[in-house]
Amino acid sequence: MAVDHIDLSVNSGNIFGFLGPNGAGKTTTIKLLTTLIAPTSGTINILGIDAIRHPLEVRKKIGVVLQQPSYEPTLNVEKSLEKYGMMWNVEVKTRKDRVEELLTAFDLNEIRNMKNDDLSIGQRRRVQVAREFIHDMDLLFLDEPTVGLDPSARRGLLDFIKKKVKEGLTIFFTTHILNEAEYLCDEVAIINKGKIIAVDTPDELKNKFGREKTIKIRISETSKDVSALLVGIRDYEIDLNSGTNITIRSSDSEEVLLKILQILTVNNIPIEDLSVMPTTLEEIFLTVVNNSNASNNQIS
Amino acid sequence: MHPIIRLVNRNLTISLNKGFLIWQVIFPLIYIFVAGFAYTALIHSVPFGNKSLDYPAFIASGMIGFNIMNSTLISGIIIWNDRRHGMFEQILVGPFTRAHYILSNVYTIGIVGLISAALITAVGYPLFFKSVEFNFYTIPLVVFASVTGSILFGSIASIISTRLQSSEGFNVVINTVFLFFAFVSTAFYPAEGAPEPLSTAFYLNPLTYLVDVVRAGIFGNFSTFIGIEMIALVVMALILFTIATKFLSRLEL
Repeated sequence: MAVDHIDLSVNSGNIFGFLGPNGAGKTTTIKLLTTLIAPTSGTINILGIDAIRHPLEVRKKIGVVLQQPSYEPTLNVEKSLEKYGMMWNVEVKTRKDRVEELLTAFDLNEIRNMKNDDLSIGQRRRVQVAREFIHDMDLLFLDEPTVGLDPSARRGLLDFIKKKVKEGLTIFFTTHILNEAEYLCDEVAIINKGKIIAVDTPDELKNKFGREKTIKIRISETSKDVSALLVGIRDYEIDLNSGTNITIRSSDSEEVLLKILQILTVNNIPIEDLSVMPTTLEEIFLTVVNNSNASNNQIS
Repeated sequence: MHPIIRLVNRNLTISLNKGFLIWQVIFPLIYIFVAGFAYTALIHSVPFGNKSLDYPAFIASGMIGFNIMNSTLISGIIIWNDRRHGMFEQILVGPFTRAHYILSNVYTIGIVGLISAALITAVGYPLFFKSVEFNFYTIPLVVFASVTGSILFGSIASIISTRLQSSEGFNVVINTVFLFFAFVSTAFYPAEGAPEPLSTAFYLNPLTYLVDVVRAGIFGNFSTFIGIEMIALVVMALILFTIATKFLSRLEL
């Protein structure tokens, strides 16, 4: 996917989330930023270095976990971490210490003697991500690092990333799992069809695009026709099968909720459960991307 | 440590597994000892320049060239595996350039080629020691053959590995090409006495030149023709290396 006029700046010591649908241009952007491919025009400045003129100098200061798997099939887990450290010119003593640290942090001790070729996809991914922390770097690019990981390995990785950021590392992170981005990122950018369509902190994005809230009410079974009682009220849905689940999606959700509560009280219909769902980054993402697609369709 | 040395270290670590070592040592030994002695009853002596060699000495010296060629398969396998397992891109987002990557492969096959040549020379020595004529150009000629042959055949293996997508295709093509080089050459039998089209084909094959240079070094039989073969080897190696470098440089990421 070609990318067009991308203008991004990432604050040092932050986790920057780069989100977008499949084929939006995330991986192309990472390939540009990691100097794997060159842009047709524009400038790329990474850590104060002109990445187009001095790509090697940039690569010496960054770490990259690519989306695609990468591993040495004939080496075992421990040896592949060790050799990767050697390739990055990490001193022997430091290398050995870090290998042990990473084997523990990424829960790889049990498989340390297994060949990479014999590992499961998730285990191989864990080794690939762990390997990148063997060398020093100022900026780490993680392209969907949690793909194939089980929930506990995923949480372990996210917490490890948070720890490294506290120690001063800056991270550029792409994912399809938006609650990961919400958990991790200080700032996010959303890309669609090669263009950046939103950049802000997750909270600010929610303020901008997340006025609509979702409220769910479960009422006791009743012989009364609830739909008939709620005539005149907008922005709600009722599960017609059970007749007991009411969902309100509205930018004036509190006002709608008050009206429905009044009607239920007046008609002696007990409420069994009521929950207010905060706007998630996933909902914001869908809203922003759908808006972008709609405006693109109008233009074309 | 220089980036190229680090990559050579990595290349040797990932390539020198048991399977490869067995392939490199056992396979030539079978040819040298089994074929060498089995065919002695049929082939009493083989002319080489102004000398007459017994067949075990002829095939043992041919196996040095054959093994140099075989060892260069490592180059194709490294590039192929790196592309297949994502390490090519991973290396290129690390502290390396494409030039580092290409040169590390050249050095790797050079080292493996030299070690292979030394190994087979040591193993084959008892068979050809009677005919050996050491002189001041013996070692330079064998080293020249090892290095030029490694670059030449390594480039061929690299070109194949950059052009093919499927592992089946890679294996079929590389084995067919190297089988042709091995058996349509003077590594196993002399060109003299072979049918005309076949003996002509022998001299379209760089392995023939490589083996002739090795034999000239070992048996002290340097001639103008060997000099021409050396020039041809250098020219072919340079051309193929340039093509391989171009293909590797243009490999899409």
